Amino acid sequence: MAALLQLCGVFLKIGVVFFGGGYVLIPLLHRVMVDQMQWLSLKEFLDGVALSQLTPGPLAMLATFSGFKAGGFAGALAGTVCIFLPCTALMLLISSRYRQFSKIQAVKHFLNGILPAVVGLVLAAAFTLGRNSLVSARDFILLGAGFLLLQFTAIAPMAVILGAAAVGLLLNFS
Amino acid sequence: MEKKAQKVSLAELAATFFMIGATGFGGGMAVVALIERRCVNEKKWLEHTEFMHGLAFSQILGPFSLNSCTFVGYYLRGALGGIVAATSFIAPSFLLVCLLSLLYFRYHQLPELKSALLGSNPIVIALILVAALGMARKNATRWHSAAIALIAFAASAFFGVNGLTVLAIAGCWGLYQGWRAGRSN
Repeated sequence: MAALLQLCGVFLKIGVVFFGGGYVLIPLLHRVMVDQMQWLSLKEFLDGVALSQLTPGPLAMLATFSGFKAGGFAGALAGTVCIFLPCTALMLLISSRYRQFSKIQAVKHFLNGILPAVVGLVLAAAFTLGRNSLVSARDFILLGAGFLLLQFTAIAPMAVILGAAAVGLLLNFS
Repeated sequence: MEKKAQKVSLAELAATFFMIGATGFGGGMAVVALIERRCVNEKKWLEHTEFMHGLAFSQILGPFSLNSCTFVGYYLRGALGGIVAATSFIAPSFLLVCLLSLLYFRYHQLPELKSALLGSNPIVIALILVAALGMARKNATRWHSAAIALIAFAASAFFGVNGLTVLAIAGCWGLYQGWRAGRSN
Protein backbone atom coordinates (compact mmCIF):
# COMPACT_ATOMS: atom_id res chain seq x y z
CA MET A 1 0.00 0.00 0.00
CA ALA A 2 2.83 2.36 0.90
CA ALA A 3 4.51 1.47 -2.39
CA LEU A 4 1.31 2.25 -4.27
CA LEU A 5 1.00 5.63 -2.55
CA GLN A 6 4.58 6.44 -3.44
CA LEU A 7 3.80 5.52 -7.05
CA CYS A 8 0.77 7.85 -7.01
CA GLY A 9 2.89 10.67 -5.62
CA VAL A 10 5.53 10.26 -8.31
CA PHE A 11 3.04 10.21 -11.18
CA LEU A 12 0.95 13.09 -9.79
CA LYS A 13 4.10 15.21 -9.63
CA ILE A 14 4.94 14.41 -13.23
CA GLY A 15 1.33 15.01 -14.27
CA VAL A 16 1.54 18.57 -12.97
CA VAL A 17 4.52 19.49 -15.15
CA PHE A 18 3.41 17.67 -18.24
CA PHE A 19 3.66 20.77 -20.49
CA GLY A 20 3.80 21.05 -24.25
CA GLY A 21 2.71 17.58 -25.35
CA GLY A 22 3.71 14.07 -24.46
CA TYR A 23 7.37 14.04 -25.37
CA VAL A 24 8.49 16.02 -22.33
CA LEU A 25 7.56 12.89 -20.40
CA ILE A 26 10.55 11.09 -21.84
CA PRO A 27 13.21 13.11 -20.00
CA LEU A 28 11.03 13.41 -16.87
CA LEU A 29 10.06 9.74 -16.64
CA HIS A 30 13.53 8.56 -17.60
CA ARG A 31 14.96 10.53 -14.72
CA VAL A 32 12.47 9.22 -12.18
CA MET A 33 11.92 5.64 -13.37
CA VAL A 34 15.47 4.73 -14.38
CA ASP A 35 17.82 6.98 -12.40
CA GLN A 36 16.00 7.72 -9.15
CA MET A 37 13.51 4.92 -8.42
CA GLN A 38 15.19 2.28 -10.55
CA TRP A 39 11.81 0.75 -11.35
CA LEU A 40 12.93 0.23 -14.96
CA SER A 41 16.24 -0.41 -16.67
CA LEU A 42 17.20 1.81 -19.59
CA LYS A 43 16.40 -1.04 -21.99
CA GLU A 44 12.97 -1.57 -20.43
CA PHE A 45 12.29 2.15 -20.62
CA LEU A 46 13.00 2.25 -24.37
CA ASP A 47 10.91 -0.88 -24.91
CA GLY A 48 8.11 0.79 -22.94
CA VAL A 49 8.18 3.81 -25.28
CA ALA A 50 7.91 1.45 -28.23
CA LEU A 51 4.96 -0.40 -26.65
CA SER A 52 3.13 2.82 -25.81
CA GLN A 53 3.39 3.78 -29.48
CA LEU A 54 1.50 0.63 -30.45
CA THR A 55 -1.72 2.03 -28.96
CA PRO A 56 -3.95 4.96 -30.04
CA GLY A 57 -3.31 6.54 -26.64
CA PRO A 58 -0.75 9.26 -25.99
CA LEU A 59 2.90 8.65 -25.16
CA ALA A 60 1.84 9.04 -21.54
CA MET A 61 0.72 5.40 -21.71
CA LEU A 62 4.35 4.95 -20.68
CA ALA A 63 3.00 5.66 -17.19
CA THR A 64 0.81 2.56 -17.50
CA PHE A 65 3.83 0.48 -18.49
CA SER A 66 6.04 1.88 -15.71
CA GLY A 67 3.24 1.47 -13.17
CA PHE A 68 2.73 -2.12 -14.29
CA LYS A 69 6.39 -2.93 -13.69
CA ALA A 70 6.40 -1.21 -10.31
CA GLY A 71 3.12 -2.59 -8.98
CA GLY A 72 1.30 -4.94 -11.36
CA PHE A 73 -2.21 -4.14 -12.57
CA ALA A 74 -2.96 -1.93 -9.54
CA GLY A 75 0.25 -0.02 -10.21
CA ALA A 76 -0.67 0.43 -13.87
CA LEU A 77 -4.11 1.77 -12.93
CA ALA A 78 -2.71 4.07 -10.23
CA GLY A 79 0.01 5.39 -12.55
CA THR A 80 -2.43 6.08 -15.38
CA VAL A 81 -5.03 7.80 -13.20
CA CYS A 82 -2.46 9.94 -11.39
CA ILE A 83 -0.58 11.10 -14.46
CA PHE A 84 -3.79 12.21 -16.18
CA LEU A 85 -5.53 13.66 -13.13
CA PRO A 86 -3.85 17.11 -13.15
CA CYS A 87 -4.31 17.79 -16.88
CA THR A 88 -7.91 16.57 -16.87
CA ALA A 89 -8.74 18.74 -13.85
CA LEU A 90 -7.10 21.76 -15.50
CA MET A 91 -8.90 21.08 -18.77
CA LEU A 92 -12.28 20.90 -16.98
CA LEU A 93 -11.51 24.20 -15.28
CA ILE A 94 -10.47 25.87 -18.52
CA SER A 95 -13.43 24.45 -20.46
CA SER A 96 -15.84 26.06 -18.03
CA ARG A 97 -14.48 29.54 -18.63
CA TYR A 98 -12.27 29.46 -21.67
CA ARG A 99 -13.39 32.87 -22.91
CA GLN A 100 -11.97 34.60 -19.82
CA PHE A 101 -8.97 32.30 -19.72
CA SER A 102 -7.77 33.31 -23.17
CA LYS A 103 -7.34 36.88 -21.92
CA ILE A 104 -4.88 36.06 -19.14
CA GLN A 105 -1.50 37.32 -20.28
CA ALA A 106 0.55 35.58 -17.57
CA VAL A 107 -0.37 32.17 -18.98
CA LYS A 108 0.97 33.20 -22.36
CA HIS A 109 4.24 34.50 -20.88
CA PHE A 110 4.68 31.40 -18.76
CA LEU A 111 4.27 29.18 -21.82
CA ASN A 112 6.62 31.36 -23.86
CA GLY A 113 9.33 30.35 -21.40
CA ILE A 114 8.26 26.72 -20.96
CA LEU A 115 7.74 25.58 -24.55
CA PRO A 116 11.28 26.30 -25.86
CA ALA A 117 12.67 24.62 -22.73
CA VAL A 118 10.59 21.54 -23.56
CA VAL A 119 12.27 21.47 -26.99
CA GLY A 120 15.70 21.49 -25.31
CA LEU A 121 14.71 18.79 -22.81
CA VAL A 122 13.35 16.46 -25.46
CA LEU A 123 16.49 16.93 -27.59
CA ALA A 124 18.57 16.19 -24.52
CA ALA A 125 16.54 13.02 -23.94
CA ALA A 126 17.28 11.84 -27.48
CA PHE A 127 20.95 12.60 -26.87
CA THR A 128 21.20 10.90 -23.47
CA LEU A 129 19.17 7.83 -24.42
CA GLY A 130 21.03 7.53 -27.73
CA ARG A 131 24.44 7.80 -26.10
CA ASN A 132 23.55 5.01 -23.69
CA SER A 133 21.74 2.65 -26.02
CA LEU A 134 23.20 3.01 -29.53
CA VAL A 135 26.31 0.86 -29.61
CA SER A 136 26.89 -0.65 -33.04
CA ALA A 137 26.94 0.59 -36.63
CA ARG A 138 23.73 -1.39 -37.10
CA ASP A 139 21.98 0.78 -34.48
CA PHE A 140 23.05 3.98 -36.21
CA ILE A 141 21.90 2.72 -39.62
CA LEU A 142 18.47 1.93 -38.13
CA LEU A 143 18.41 5.31 -36.42
CA GLY A 144 19.18 7.08 -39.71
CA ALA A 145 16.64 5.08 -41.69
CA GLY A 146 14.01 5.58 -38.98
CA PHE A 147 14.70 9.31 -38.86
CA LEU A 148 14.30 9.69 -42.63
CA LEU A 149 11.07 7.66 -42.67
CA LEU A 150 9.52 9.50 -39.73
CA GLN A 151 10.64 12.95 -40.83
CA PHE A 152 9.95 12.83 -44.56
CA THR A 153 7.16 10.30 -45.10
CA ALA A 154 3.67 9.98 -43.68
CA ILE A 155 4.24 6.43 -42.43
CA ALA A 156 2.81 6.05 -38.90
CA PRO A 157 5.36 5.63 -36.05
CA MET A 158 3.66 2.37 -35.15
CA ALA A 159 4.41 0.94 -38.60
CA VAL A 160 8.06 2.05 -38.45
CA ILE A 161 8.51 0.50 -34.99
CA LEU A 162 6.91 -2.78 -36.07
CA GLY A 163 8.96 -2.77 -39.27
CA ALA A 164 12.21 -2.33 -37.37
CA ALA A 165 11.16 -5.06 -34.94
CA ALA A 166 10.57 -7.35 -37.92
CA VAL A 167 14.05 -6.49 -39.24
CA GLY A 168 15.53 -7.33 -35.83
CA LEU A 169 13.65 -10.62 -35.70
CA LEU A 170 14.52 -11.69 -39.26
CA LEU A 171 18.21 -10.80 -38.94
CA ASN A 172 18.42 -12.39 -35.48
CA PHE A 173 19.77 -9.34 -33.63
CA SER A 174 21.49 -10.21 -30.40
CA MET B 1 -23.80 27.67 -23.75
CA GLU B 2 -25.81 24.90 -22.06
CA LYS B 3 -28.81 25.62 -24.26
CA LYS B 4 -26.89 25.56 -27.50
CA ALA B 5 -25.35 22.17 -26.83
CA GLN B 6 -27.60 19.19 -27.48
CA LYS B 7 -28.45 16.78 -24.74
CA VAL B 8 -26.23 13.80 -25.40
CA SER B 9 -26.54 10.81 -23.08
CA LEU B 10 -23.49 9.83 -21.06
CA ALA B 11 -23.72 6.32 -22.47
CA GLU B 12 -23.51 7.64 -26.02
CA LEU B 13 -20.61 9.88 -25.03
CA ALA B 14 -18.81 6.90 -23.49
CA ALA B 15 -19.45 4.69 -26.52
CA THR B 16 -18.27 7.35 -28.98
CA PHE B 17 -15.02 8.09 -27.18
CA PHE B 18 -14.34 4.43 -26.46
CA MET B 19 -14.53 3.81 -30.23
CA ILE B 20 -12.24 6.77 -30.90
CA GLY B 21 -9.82 5.44 -28.30
CA ALA B 22 -9.90 1.99 -29.85
CA THR B 23 -9.45 3.02 -33.48
CA GLY B 24 -7.45 6.25 -33.43
CA PHE B 25 -4.10 4.66 -34.21
CA GLY B 26 -1.46 7.23 -35.01
CA GLY B 27 -1.97 9.23 -31.82
CA GLY B 28 -1.92 13.01 -31.36
CA MET B 29 -3.16 14.86 -34.44
CA ALA B 30 -4.65 11.69 -35.96
CA VAL B 31 -6.90 11.30 -32.92
CA VAL B 32 -7.86 14.99 -32.89
CA ALA B 33 -8.84 14.76 -36.56
CA LEU B 34 -10.94 11.70 -35.75
CA ILE B 35 -12.68 13.50 -32.87
CA GLU B 36 -13.49 16.37 -35.21
CA ARG B 37 -14.92 14.03 -37.84
CA ARG B 38 -17.11 12.12 -35.36
CA CYS B 39 -18.28 14.94 -33.09
CA VAL B 40 -18.33 18.00 -35.33
CA ASN B 41 -18.96 16.72 -38.86
CA GLU B 42 -21.04 13.58 -38.29
CA LYS B 43 -22.89 14.03 -35.00
CA LYS B 44 -22.91 17.84 -35.09
CA TRP B 45 -22.52 17.97 -31.31
CA LEU B 46 -20.63 21.25 -31.50
CA GLU B 47 -19.62 23.92 -34.00
CA HIS B 48 -16.24 23.90 -35.68
CA THR B 49 -15.31 27.23 -34.06
CA GLU B 50 -16.13 25.93 -30.56
CA PHE B 51 -13.99 22.89 -31.23
CA MET B 52 -11.09 25.10 -32.35
CA HIS B 53 -11.35 27.12 -29.12
CA GLY B 54 -11.02 23.90 -27.17
CA LEU B 55 -7.99 22.81 -29.20
CA ALA B 56 -6.16 26.02 -28.37
CA PHE B 57 -6.16 25.06 -24.69
CA SER B 58 -5.66 21.34 -25.18
CA GLN B 59 -1.98 21.85 -25.85
CA ILE B 60 -1.01 23.46 -22.55
CA LEU B 61 -0.84 20.64 -20.03
CA GLY B 62 -0.98 16.95 -20.88
CA PRO B 63 -1.71 15.08 -24.09
CA PHE B 64 -3.44 16.95 -26.90
CA SER B 65 -5.72 14.04 -27.80
CA LEU B 66 -6.95 13.35 -24.25
CA ASN B 67 -7.58 17.03 -23.52
CA SER B 68 -9.64 17.41 -26.70
CA CYS B 69 -11.86 14.55 -25.49
CA THR B 70 -12.21 16.20 -22.08
CA PHE B 71 -13.20 19.48 -23.72
CA VAL B 72 -15.89 17.96 -25.93
CA GLY B 73 -17.25 15.92 -23.01
CA TYR B 74 -17.40 19.01 -20.81
CA TYR B 75 -19.02 21.07 -23.53
CA LEU B 76 -21.82 18.52 -23.89
CA ARG B 77 -22.42 17.30 -20.34
CA GLY B 78 -20.39 19.35 -17.87
CA ALA B 79 -17.65 18.03 -15.60
CA LEU B 80 -19.09 14.51 -15.45
CA GLY B 81 -19.22 14.43 -19.27
CA GLY B 82 -15.59 15.51 -19.44
CA ILE B 83 -14.50 12.75 -17.08
CA VAL B 84 -16.58 10.13 -18.91
CA ALA B 85 -15.15 11.16 -22.30
CA ALA B 86 -11.55 11.18 -21.05
CA THR B 87 -11.87 7.83 -19.27
CA SER B 88 -13.58 6.16 -22.22
CA PHE B 89 -10.90 7.42 -24.58
CA ILE B 90 -8.03 6.11 -22.45
CA ALA B 91 -9.63 2.76 -21.54
CA PRO B 92 -8.79 0.82 -24.75
CA SER B 93 -5.15 1.98 -24.74
CA PHE B 94 -4.90 1.27 -21.03
CA LEU B 95 -6.10 -2.31 -21.47
CA LEU B 96 -3.83 -2.81 -24.48
CA VAL B 97 -0.75 -1.50 -22.64
CA CYS B 98 -1.55 -3.69 -19.61
CA LEU B 99 -1.75 -6.71 -21.89
CA LEU B 100 1.46 -5.79 -23.73
CA SER B 101 3.25 -5.09 -20.42
CA LEU B 102 2.18 -8.45 -19.04
CA LEU B 103 3.50 -10.23 -22.13
CA TYR B 104 6.64 -8.10 -22.18
CA PHE B 105 7.68 -8.67 -18.57
CA ARG B 106 6.87 -12.37 -18.81
CA TYR B 107 8.55 -13.08 -22.14
CA HIS B 108 11.25 -10.48 -22.72
CA GLN B 109 13.95 -13.07 -22.16
CA LEU B 110 12.81 -14.93 -25.29
CA PRO B 111 15.52 -14.57 -27.95
CA GLU B 112 12.97 -13.74 -30.68
CA LEU B 113 11.38 -10.91 -28.71
CA LYS B 114 14.82 -9.66 -27.68
CA SER B 115 15.89 -9.47 -31.34
CA ALA B 116 12.72 -7.63 -32.32
CA LEU B 117 13.10 -5.10 -29.50
CA LEU B 118 16.75 -4.51 -30.38
CA GLY B 119 15.52 -3.58 -33.84
CA SER B 120 12.93 -1.15 -32.52
CA ASN B 121 15.17 0.62 -29.97
CA PRO B 122 16.97 2.93 -32.45
CA ILE B 123 13.56 3.85 -33.91
CA VAL B 124 12.47 5.08 -30.51
CA ILE B 125 15.46 7.44 -30.47
CA ALA B 126 14.62 8.56 -34.01
CA LEU B 127 11.02 9.18 -32.93
CA ILE B 128 12.13 11.40 -30.04
CA LEU B 129 14.52 13.28 -32.32
CA VAL B 130 11.83 13.91 -34.95
CA ALA B 131 9.43 15.09 -32.24
CA ALA B 132 12.03 17.51 -30.88
CA LEU B 133 12.71 18.97 -34.32
CA GLY B 134 8.98 19.35 -34.99
CA MET B 135 8.52 21.22 -31.73
CA ALA B 136 11.61 23.35 -32.41
CA ARG B 137 10.09 24.54 -35.68
CA LYS B 138 7.04 25.73 -33.75
CA ASN B 139 8.49 26.93 -30.47
CA ALA B 140 12.15 27.83 -30.94
CA THR B 141 12.15 30.03 -34.03
CA ARG B 142 13.32 33.38 -32.68
CA TRP B 143 16.78 33.79 -31.20
CA HIS B 144 15.37 34.29 -27.74
CA SER B 145 13.39 31.06 -27.69
CA ALA B 146 16.20 29.19 -29.46
CA ALA B 147 18.56 30.30 -26.69
CA ILE B 148 16.18 28.94 -24.02
CA ALA B 149 16.03 25.63 -25.90
CA LEU B 150 19.83 25.44 -26.14
CA ILE B 151 20.36 26.25 -22.47
CA ALA B 152 17.73 23.69 -21.47
CA PHE B 153 19.44 21.12 -23.70
CA ALA B 154 22.88 21.76 -22.23
CA ALA B 155 21.61 21.84 -18.64
CA SER B 156 19.87 18.50 -19.07
CA ALA B 157 22.33 16.67 -21.35
CA PHE B 158 25.68 17.80 -19.91
CA PHE B 159 25.03 18.99 -16.37
CA GLY B 160 22.37 16.50 -15.30
CA VAL B 161 19.91 19.18 -14.18
CA ASN B 162 16.50 17.70 -13.37
CA GLY B 163 13.84 18.35 -16.04
CA LEU B 164 11.44 19.69 -13.40
CA THR B 165 13.98 22.30 -12.36
CA VAL B 166 14.58 23.34 -15.97
CA LEU B 167 10.83 23.76 -16.59
CA ALA B 168 10.30 25.76 -13.40
CA ILE B 169 13.15 28.15 -14.20
CA ALA B 170 12.01 28.54 -17.82
CA GLY B 171 8.44 29.30 -16.70
CA CYS B 172 9.65 31.96 -14.26
CA TRP B 173 11.90 33.43 -16.93
CA GLY B 174 8.90 33.67 -19.30
CA LEU B 175 6.84 35.43 -16.62
CA TYR B 176 9.71 37.82 -15.89
CA GLN B 177 10.10 38.64 -19.59
CA GLY B 178 6.39 39.32 -19.88
CA TRP B 179 6.41 41.51 -16.78
CA ARG B 180 9.37 43.52 -18.15
CA ALA B 181 7.73 43.94 -21.56
CA GLY B 182 4.54 45.10 -19.84
CA ARG B 183 6.42 47.72 -17.84
CA SER B 184 8.26 49.23 -20.79
CA ASN B 185 4.99 49.75 -22.67
